[in-house]
Amino acid sequence: MTAPSVTVPQNAVTERRELLPVAGGRETLRALRALLRPRRGLAGAGLLVLTTATAIGLTVAPLLGHLVDLVSQGRPAGALTTPVVALAVVAVVSGALTAYGLTLVARLGEGALAELRERFLDRALRLPLGRVERAGSGDLTSRAGNDLSAVASVVRSGLPELGRSLLAIVLTLAGLGVLDWRLLLAALLAVPVQLHTVRWYAGRALPVYARQRVAVGAQQQQLLETIGGAATVRALRRRERHLDLVSGRSQEAVELTMRGVNLVTRFYARLNLAEFIGLGAVLVTGFLLVRAGEVSIGTATAAALYFHHLFTPINTALGLIDDVQAAYAALARLVGVAELPEPAAPPAPRSPADASLHADGVTHAYDADRPVLHDVSVAVPAGRRVALVGASGAGKSTLAGLVAGVHEPTAGRIRVGGVGLGDLDPAGRRAVALITQEVHVFAGTLAEDLRLAEPAAADEQLLAALDKVGAAEWVQALPDGLSTVVGEGGHRLTAAQAQQLALARLVLADPAVAVLDEATAEAGSAGARVLEASVAAALDGRTGLLVAHRLTQAALADQVVVLEGGRIVESGTHDELRAAPGGRYAELWRAWSGRRSG
Amino acid sequence: MSQLTGGRVLRRALREQAGRITGSAVLSTGHQAGEALVPVVIGVVVDRAVGTGSPESLLLWIGVLAAVFVTLSFSFRFGARLGERAAEQAGHRLRVRVTERVLDPRGGADTGRLPGALASIATGDAGRVGMVALVLPLGVAAIAGLAVGAIALLRVSLPLGLLVLLGTPLMMLLAHLLGRPLQRRSEEEQERAAHAAGLAADLVGGLRVLKGIGAERAAADRYRLSSRAALTATLHAAGAKARHDGTLLAVNGLFLALVALLGGRLAADGDISIGALVAAVGMAQYLTGPLSLMVWVNGELAQGRGSAGRIAEVLSSPPAVGGDAELPGPVKGQVTVHGLTHAGLDGLDLDVPAGAFVGIVTTDPAHADALVACLSREREPARGTVTLDGLDLSGVDPDAVRAALLVAAHDADLFEGTLRADIDPAPTEHRVPAPRDGAGDGGRLARALAASAADEVAAALPGGLDGLVGEQGRTLSGGQRQRVALARALAADPPVLVLHEPTTAVDAVTESRIAQGVRRLREGRTTVVITTSPALLSTADTVHLVDGGAVTASGTHDQLVHEHAAYRAAVLA
Repeated sequence: MTAPSVTVPQNAVTERRELLPVAGGRETLRALRALLRPRRGLAGAGLLVLTTATAIGLTVAPLLGHLVDLVSQGRPAGALTTPVVALAVVAVVSGALTAYGLTLVARLGEGALAELRERFLDRALRLPLGRVERAGSGDLTSRAGNDLSAVASVVRSGLPELGRSLLAIVLTLAGLGVLDWRLLLAALLAVPVQLHTVRWYAGRALPVYARQRVAVGAQQQQLLETIGGAATVRALRRRERHLDLVSGRSQEAVELTMRGVNLVTRFYARLNLAEFIGLGAVLVTGFLLVRAGEVSIGTATAAALYFHHLFTPINTALGLIDDVQAAYAALARLVGVAELPEPAAPPAPRSPADASLHADGVTHAYDADRPVLHDVSVAVPAGRRVALVGASGAGKSTLAGLVAGVHEPTAGRIRVGGVGLGDLDPAGRRAVALITQEVHVFAGTLAEDLRLAEPAAADEQLLAALDKVGAAEWVQALPDGLSTVVGEGGHRLTAAQAQQLALARLVLADPAVAVLDEATAEAGSAGARVLEASVAAALDGRTGLLVAHRLTQAALADQVVVLEGGRIVESGTHDELRAAPGGRYAELWRAWSGRRSG
Repeated sequence: MSQLTGGRVLRRALREQAGRITGSAVLSTGHQAGEALVPVVIGVVVDRAVGTGSPESLLLWIGVLAAVFVTLSFSFRFGARLGERAAEQAGHRLRVRVTERVLDPRGGADTGRLPGALASIATGDAGRVGMVALVLPLGVAAIAGLAVGAIALLRVSLPLGLLVLLGTPLMMLLAHLLGRPLQRRSEEEQERAAHAAGLAADLVGGLRVLKGIGAERAAADRYRLSSRAALTATLHAAGAKARHDGTLLAVNGLFLALVALLGGRLAADGDISIGALVAAVGMAQYLTGPLSLMVWVNGELAQGRGSAGRIAEVLSSPPAVGGDAELPGPVKGQVTVHGLTHAGLDGLDLDVPAGAFVGIVTTDPAHADALVACLSREREPARGTVTLDGLDLSGVDPDAVRAALLVAAHDADLFEGTLRADIDPAPTEHRVPAPRDGAGDGGRLARALAASAADEVAAALPGGLDGLVGEQGRTLSGGQRQRVALARALAADPPVLVLHEPTTAVDAVTESRIAQGVRRLREGRTTVVITTSPALLSTADTVHLVDGGAVTASGTHDQLVHEHAAYRAAVLA
């Protein structure tokens, strides 16, 4: 039985989560300013145009009032032409200016957004893998997915709407002030209630929405798990249990959504109160001022109508506050990654002298008190192949990851061509490639997927690489050959095909040293045999370290290293080890080959 | 089952929420009326109080204004809540019904549909059908608002009323027609932009692969190109939308000018009062509210109908397998396959005696899949029969079959939760009794864990058996998942167990241990292992070689290895 101190990397990761950084308020603001600074001109022009458009739009009410005055003064119908033409001109001009202003704002926002997402992704792609794993794979993907789209949707619709509403509010209040300062003061009586409402709402809404999003995510995930595993659920007759789970998660999401709805409706009820207070105050003030002979009835009426016209923009602006807040939080998560300091470059970068690979006395622990590798030394001469063999959890994957530079060993050193991993120049680092059992087919055409490994490759080179790993036949059988869209939403590849694709990428990337971890594990026995040939072809001419599950792979290697409990227990050629009486490898070989030898 | 249409799905969803929908409609109408009354009351306050200087009047009408606000506020609050609750609850019920159908023992709903697509029907489409329950009351309120406005206007002045009533919809139609091509283009462009956004998540999702081959720079370059293309597309879309919004604003203003012109002339000629002119102008602005509400409601209804159609398709998908008979008495476990022809299998005959441990090797993995599909009653074979104790399974309730004959598929899923819950969720649940004495549940679980070497998985997992595995068991490695799935099948302890390639991701030492363990645990119980693994096959009483869709050789593993070249080629690389 495996000792409890030995664990596979995946478990170690789940135990100690260390999320990627989130930018603080000042940092986020600084990043925001940096994004906007080169677009100052655009921002100024957009603000100016939209302000003008809104101001012109506000002349509609006085123009209508003028028309009413003309009629009440008994002017002939012909006198009405001027204000009506003015109304028409205002309509066309404010429409045109609004369109132009919105275009400017879109150029500002979308340009900044594009720059932000490019900087984020550029930095995210260069994060050390070990760091990403410590954070859990979901952390970075949710930033690239949810957070980017939250910011984008606010930039696209929220901010222009918020801007226009705020302009309307400010300019209308200014208009009120022009009518009479006391009327403006009366209208401002609504503000304390509104401010209090927003604070009341923001404090409650954020946690409720956060919980609601989690609940909806859990419901979504439960559905995917239950529906994706429908055949398993049927086979094990766990229908009732899964229905309960789906129904429970769904009802929980419903209840939390309703809690949010209750909050929103209470939010608007409070805003209604503010509307009434403001409107009542304006009317009463108007009444008093008219009675005192300070303003005309027309002015008092205009003030009340102005205030009434504020209802919609105020509700829009306040209703958008939590979207903007959520987007700002998302922005802080994006900036947190985008602004991570670059790792220090090696002081004196060196090129590897040859394609040899050495692990010298490597010890590694994901958890300080749970070492998974103890003083392991492996030497792979240039162009040779070493197979790692051992039970699950023996430390094979950890060693492969250390050699490929995914993690840094707790003690000991990895050298490529005589140079420590940390001292390699960029080309030298690229000389070591790692293929894990995780197969990801990138969304896009097959050719695009392959060109990630070698952007300059011509179609012939892509086909040659595919041919080398035995994938040419099925690729040619695809509906559009190399142009077939694969990955999410595209043509689905089998596990074995996806692995061959990964190997073709390796051929195109053409590293001097290749580390292969469980590249054939998931394909099933029949597929695994095909893949073995692909692996052999892909490793041709390279220094190879491979984690062997199928012992035929070990048999073909120049040297076999047997790991147990994080220690090397045997090392030698296949024939030597197989012949060693009572040896671990000999036992493995007998078990694997069944009664083959008999 | 009579044909289930989208209309029926939608009507049933609404009928179930009829009370809430009615209540919401009444309250929303009250809210709409209140909103329309506010400017009216403002006018009255100006007329009766500000104009006259009477404080009593002022108090009275401010009081009326307060009453209007209380009404509109409360009817919005509770109308919205009722509507949202109706929508959420309707969506929830549909979600559960879709899941029920997918999990139905007779299957068929997940045939030819991807899990992601089904899950999106259960969430997105169910939600959109639910939305109908929310928007319907708003539509009713909008119609009521329109009717009130129409009556008020026509009473003021017939020509002015007709201009506003006919002009407003015409104007909206015009704006719609002007905007439609813009809107369509902008939707296409936004889709392209969304695709680029998806690319970011996709690249980050494949980060390990990118880093493995040093492709970070290439990926970043690719993303920058795609982000720039998306930027161009979004700017086009945003420009189109801005022009659309601007046009709408201009058309609206021009119409207002037209109303002012006609109303002003009528008033100047003394045909209508000044108050009526103000009312008409106000109404022309108010009516765009309920009208755009109706346009929105209409759009939601169309979406809801489309979604209801997709849900109806899932709910009425034909079952993959049939049968409703019960299995008589205790199961002995004799399995016979006769003339089975299905997806590559060509008249396959097999006889597995009760209590035997049999291995099956197929030269083509697709044939193994076909056999697994027929044995697990996921598919009805094209021709031929599978019998259990002589009873043709095609007539038996698939759930009853699976209780007696469990097929552990190669690609079986694990489920999130504790290891213990995944392997044995309800130890006290009634199952087909095991014919052994003293086989307590705890003992059975421990034996299953040991036989499948999943005890090592539990030992390595923080928290052991009560430790958590992530969604679909993803926090475990491939080999660990496979062992847990095997433990789960063994713990179910069925009279007949069919295992399909249970050890492909397991190392050789452990595989050998598993082969011995499974053999011992299943002693005396019918067990079929469909595999090419020599370690497992060597423990079988008999091995059948399926080549070209039919059995071409039978014997022990040793015999076949020595005597049969095709068998050697199939199991020994």
